[in-house]
Amino acid sequence: MYPANFEYVRPKTVKEALSLISSMEGSRIIAGGQSLLPILKLRLFEPASLIDIGFIPELKQIKVEDKHTVRIGAMVRHHEILDNALIRGNLPMLSSTAENVADVQIRNRGTIGGSICEADPAADYLPTLMALDAKVHLKSDNGERSLSIEEFIKGPFETDIQDGEMLTEVEIERNTENFVVEKYARRKADFAVASVAALARVAKEGRVEYIRIATGATTEGPKRLKDLENSIRGKTSHQLDLGEIVGKAISSIGMISDLHGSSEYRKYVLRGMLIRTVGNLIKMER
Amino acid sequence: MVTVSMKINGKNYSGEAEPRTLLVHFIRDTLRLKGTHIGCDTGHCGACTILWNGEPVKSCQILAVQAEGADLTTVEGLEPEEGKYSIEQESFREHFAMQCGYCTPGFLMMTRYLIRNNPEMTREEIREKLHGNYCMCTGYQQIVDAVQDAQKKFLISKK
Repeated sequence: MYPANFEYVRPKTVKEALSLISSMEGSRIIAGGQSLLPILKLRLFEPASLIDIGFIPELKQIKVEDKHTVRIGAMVRHHEILDNALIRGNLPMLSSTAENVADVQIRNRGTIGGSICEADPAADYLPTLMALDAKVHLKSDNGERSLSIEEFIKGPFETDIQDGEMLTEVEIERNTENFVVEKYARRKADFAVASVAALARVAKEGRVEYIRIATGATTEGPKRLKDLENSIRGKTSHQLDLGEIVGKAISSIGMISDLHGSSEYRKYVLRGMLIRTVGNLIKMER
Repeated sequence: MVTVSMKINGKNYSGEAEPRTLLVHFIRDTLRLKGTHIGCDTGHCGACTILWNGEPVKSCQILAVQAEGADLTTVEGLEPEEGKYSIEQESFREHFAMQCGYCTPGFLMMTRYLIRNNPEMTREEIREKLHGNYCMCTGYQQIVDAVQDAQKKFLISKK
């Protein structure tokens, strides 16, 4: 189907974009359009106007401050996240995640800001960003605020973004711990049925010093598994019965059921993924 | 209507488009460059793949107005001179990497990009990189053969 018609504007600066957002009723931002265009074609959504932020250079920047704070502009494309040396060097886990996003062509257009704002429960970035403690920066005519991913994602396709606000930047602290990012889908370019993003540091004697585990596609938004982290931290891999503690950690979580998989199926897949991926991760020494 | 200008295959084009006009329709119906195909219109099949600053994108997932000032290459821009095949076209012809030919423009554009950016891909890597392009006829064997061959031809041409 074809999108319903709309008015189209093309601001050149963030300031101009913000004043357009607050003055144009029923407007929507378009970044790369790789999530929004399919939605417009299905006419699930018919905005009166589209504000194209693709011509704003300041949103395309990647910066590292004080050698450890990485700032990624909302318009940075998946392809750049995969390839950019600053991101590969400071956030290898994020680069690996970008590799799972759709296909080469989509990665050349789709942006990290667009993906986060769509808030698809199966989006590839969300569990990774949660594990990395990413913050999103939102700007409006009235000022600026920053939120964690937990605070920003409100539910499936729902975020905390308010009228007149725009996501301008993602901020992540450098993290080069061992990690695993895994997505299970029937075909590679499909949305995930279940995904796992985890980071760990194992001390010399095999004790897990640091661990963060987040899952995606199984619940209405990304989910940190803090109980599971707590039962792993401080132990060595041979002190742990992962089958048991993973089972316990996810048994009470209500999972999504849709045409890609029932909730029972998702739980089954996720359990297997967690046991295997976290099991391998906590055996890896630096 | 909005006036949209862009460079395609080194030539400047300009035309009128509704804001909702898809880039692929603008290229085919307004600019009358019919080489780029429309397959699924949902971003899956890759028949509409073109190059934007040398990088492949799906032109059915882009609005024409978003491509203002863009530098694009379509399948018409592959042949080095009138009547002469490019490396990619030659490899596809030699390996008969098509049956109905509908998906071929998209595969050719991907091949142009891949052999220049990852010139030493294995068969497995080629398949991986091509998963955004569907072919309903060949079963992909000859297409992967053709891309491998184009890789070789490209490396030789650089020596």
